[in-house]
Amino acid sequence: MKIKLLLTALMALGAATLVAAAPPVQKIEFWTFSMKPKFTPYFEGLARSYEAAHPGIKIEWVDFPWDIIQTKLVTRIVAGTPPALVNLNVPWADEFARDGLLTPVDELLQGARQRYLASTLEDLTFGGKTYGFPMYSNVAVISYNTDIFKAAGLTRAPNSLDEQLAFARQIAQRTGKAGLCPALSKIDGLMMQQGLPVIKDGRAAFNSPAHVALVAKLAATYKAGGLLKDSLFAEDNFPAAIDAYKGGRLGMLLAPPTAVKRIETDAKDIYAKTGVAPAPLGPTGIADGGWLVHFAVPAGVDKKLLPQIGEFARYLTNDANQLAFAKQASVYPAAAEAARDPFFLAVPPGAGAAEKAVSAGAVSMPHSHTLYVSGVTDYDELRRSLVKAVEAGVTGRQDIQQALDAAAAIWNKKLARQSKLSRIQGQTPIAAQLASSQPALMPLSGPSRIWGQTPNAAQAGWGAGGIW
Amino acid sequence: MKTRTVLHYAVLCAIALVCVFPFWWTVVTALSTEGNVFAFPPTFWPKSPSLANFEEAFRVIPFLAFFKNSVLIAALTVFWKLALCSMAAYPLARMHFRGRRLVFGLILATLVLPSEVNFLVNFITVTKLSLVDTYAGVILPNVVTAVAILLLKQAFEEVPQDLIDAARVDGASEWIIFTRIMLPLIAPWLATVGILTAVEAWNEYIWPSIVMSKPDEFPLSVGVLYLRGTFGSSTRVIAAGTVLTILPTLAAFLFTQRYFMRGMDGAVK
Amino acid sequence: MVSGRRTALAAWLFLAPALVLLAAFSFWPVGFGSYLAFTDYSLIRPTSSVGLDNFRYIFDNEMFVTGLKNSLVFLLMVPFVQIGALGLAVLVNNRLPGIRLFRAAFYVPVVTTVSVVGIMWGFMFHEQGALNYMLMALRFVDAPVGWLSNDTLALFCIMFVTLWRGLGWYMVMYLAALQAVPAEMQEAAILDGASRWQRFWKITVPMLHPTIMVCTILSVLAALKAYQEVDVLTQGGPMNSTFTALYYSYDQGLKHLKLPRALAASFVVSVFCVGIAMLCLRYLKPRQK
Repeated sequence: MKIKLLLTALMALGAATLVAAAPPVQKIEFWTFSMKPKFTPYFEGLARSYEAAHPGIKIEWVDFPWDIIQTKLVTRIVAGTPPALVNLNVPWADEFARDGLLTPVDELLQGARQRYLASTLEDLTFGGKTYGFPMYSNVAVISYNTDIFKAAGLTRAPNSLDEQLAFARQIAQRTGKAGLCPALSKIDGLMMQQGLPVIKDGRAAFNSPAHVALVAKLAATYKAGGLLKDSLFAEDNFPAAIDAYKGGRLGMLLAPPTAVKRIETDAKDIYAKTGVAPAPLGPTGIADGGWLVHFAVPAGVDKKLLPQIGEFARYLTNDANQLAFAKQASVYPAAAEAARDPFFLAVPPGAGAAEKAVSAGAVSMPHSHTLYVSGVTDYDELRRSLVKAVEAGVTGRQDIQQALDAAAAIWNKKLARQSKLSRIQGQTPIAAQLASSQPALMPLSGPSRIWGQTPNAAQAGWGAGGIW
Repeated sequence: MKTRTVLHYAVLCAIALVCVFPFWWTVVTALSTEGNVFAFPPTFWPKSPSLANFEEAFRVIPFLAFFKNSVLIAALTVFWKLALCSMAAYPLARMHFRGRRLVFGLILATLVLPSEVNFLVNFITVTKLSLVDTYAGVILPNVVTAVAILLLKQAFEEVPQDLIDAARVDGASEWIIFTRIMLPLIAPWLATVGILTAVEAWNEYIWPSIVMSKPDEFPLSVGVLYLRGTFGSSTRVIAAGTVLTILPTLAAFLFTQRYFMRGMDGAVK
Repeated sequence: MVSGRRTALAAWLFLAPALVLLAAFSFWPVGFGSYLAFTDYSLIRPTSSVGLDNFRYIFDNEMFVTGLKNSLVFLLMVPFVQIGALGLAVLVNNRLPGIRLFRAAFYVPVVTTVSVVGIMWGFMFHEQGALNYMLMALRFVDAPVGWLSNDTLALFCIMFVTLWRGLGWYMVMYLAALQAVPAEMQEAAILDGASRWQRFWKITVPMLHPTIMVCTILSVLAALKAYQEVDVLTQGGPMNSTFTALYYSYDQGLKHLKLPRALAASFVVSVFCVGIAMLCLRYLKPRQK
């Protein structure tokens, strides 16, 4: 009886030590947006093979619709239960990093830094720290309706912004249709791409004669009917632009290859007539509309788990995996070696516009940057006043110089206040930071950026409201 | 009489056209499989109609699972909302007690005070109460609303006092009066508030998406967002998904009409 | 009305569950949010009080000031919505064959998800959209009208969409209220020789008075708090002319995570709501029976 008791006790003890000795399972949860169901096998495969190679680590993959992921992330961070990795794009990452909602990943990148394209890492570096593992990039190409071009007497794709505007005017004159729908709510980006600084020495610089000339060119094209009137200045006019293109009402469309694929499903007749060319580089040598997606680490993640998270993130974004994904998704990898793969420059026989778009985009890929003005608080409000001024000028409601001067006055007032504030708080004065917002000719580096094009999803989700 | 009826119908049709037209375009798009979605002039009749887009929508997302979640959330919300809000409205309408004005004022205040950050604070509360990923977490924060209480209070106020007095004289307790007499008397209003609540709960997508952490538990209103994947979405399939989301609420509205339309005999013509 | 201790106890028991939930999920966040409007809360970093800074910022901001003005303009819509909904309710308050379908048709805008509403009306108001197409086909205009690109027109288009969405909701309210009008009173009036119009004004409307008051207040509050239609149709443009106060709050709060400013903006809106709601309560109160 006693022996039985002793044996049982020993067994229990043994079992307890066994359980204690087994390493606790560490869970890494990573989020993607809108990848299901097309890429379910890809991500599930990644997760399972990583788990097999790393016992003791459980990978949980969750995919959320694009529309809700930002809100979900914020609520989870504030509640203290953030995921280990989350898919973000650069503008979101910038805002989140600025608000302290992301963990810098410099230590986690370690030696893997060289693996990624230098431009992608620069895009993710704010205030001297890097905030993400680059995953893939989207570059815009020009799609043009060959029928409209023929009717307007055009034989090739435009090579510069001036040509785009001239072509648009010609299209309007000869066919009565609009030629172009540039994202003028990102006029600051457009100016910078053309080599015209938006801020210089801490003061607004967009009311110079060169700037006025640019806006005047836009105004002339608008007046001739070359620019799509509706939604021209909307915060996100891409849905309107692509819908007009699909409806055969727009001559040229600046869109990433993934969007070109959508034209195939929604408007086969237009797709058949679509020609593709690389997007024109501005005088700065920068391609318009770079769009980088990466994996970021939210703030508040368990510090002890960071090394494992880093390792998984490096695995997630290594060359082989990036290449596999990019091929499936018609995007471009952000890993240097994967980007050099001949797949992206080859045009398969019998290629439709979407396939041609991939190789056209590959041409501009090395020159693409997600560009925006950084370092200014409440930049969005300033941008909106600039857009309003440009809208007044382009639509002819106000004299261009006057409108730009008025906006410059607003900017200078706010910038002066911020400058004073940052001097009081002992931060780097804004003047020094913004001096480098003058885009350099290749290679581009530093905090000067231009807002990239927004992706194809509209901000408003297909959800409901109704609080009557 | 006849001309008047014709005129009546004409007016009804005209207004119905304006109300239904945008939804009609969605249905047309969902049923079409050919042609250009964004052609101008716009098409008002499906081209090569088929249910292919609907099949695709079913294939792309786990439709039935989302549907089940939506039904559960809507049903639970309606039940608890009617129960709790009517219980709150009754004393405000029919009883005198100290503090009545204050309570009513507080309830009205929720209508006018800022609620932007509510979702954030409520999520923290829900997390602390371990209600994340539960239906309770989705429903509880929004189940008591000032609008419902207002409407039901007003419904209670219309009940003739004599009925209540008679019951009180008979010695019935407040609870019996409430459940056996008052609630049945305001049945049409309960049905009205019920259907409005059901529709709102069905279409709610922000809060459920925050509380539920596993996509399998999302209601349909969130689930259809998956149709718009970053890499491949067809406007037609999205339209099909939208139609599938709206149809149940319309069906529910059609079939519950008799519950809040009573006394049609002798109604004003 | 009963009073007394037993009643008071019963009253509080009835109210308890609702009040507990309201306290936890409405009063607490609202109170906390109102406090945050006076701080520099930024989700992660420590918070400190900044007094009226947030308010000064928003009143210095063109988008918010325009928004406040526009929110007040939205109030113009309230009479149209209410009269329209009441009219619709009267039109469908009968037993004509197929009337159920019409009621459902009028309700469709209410059940349509807001983003679909945005896409559909965006399509209608587009310069090459359905509305211009019909107007030009009927020769009402010669050239396409820029509904959403003209700063005066855009706001009214948005107001129209808001009205369109709300009609069905209030129609259901008024329908339910119309059921309560006793048939006998109507019949007696008919016997007395009263016309339809007289019956409507002397009998129906007074009986509907409480519902009218409640619906008007709700409508006023909804008008002041309108923002979703702006989000899906114009996002504040053209030229920042279609901002509403709460759209500014939503934009700052959810898109740029500037919560204190968003809260300050909605705080200001609340003040207006409270003021105007009280006015409505005073002047629309039905006389005691």
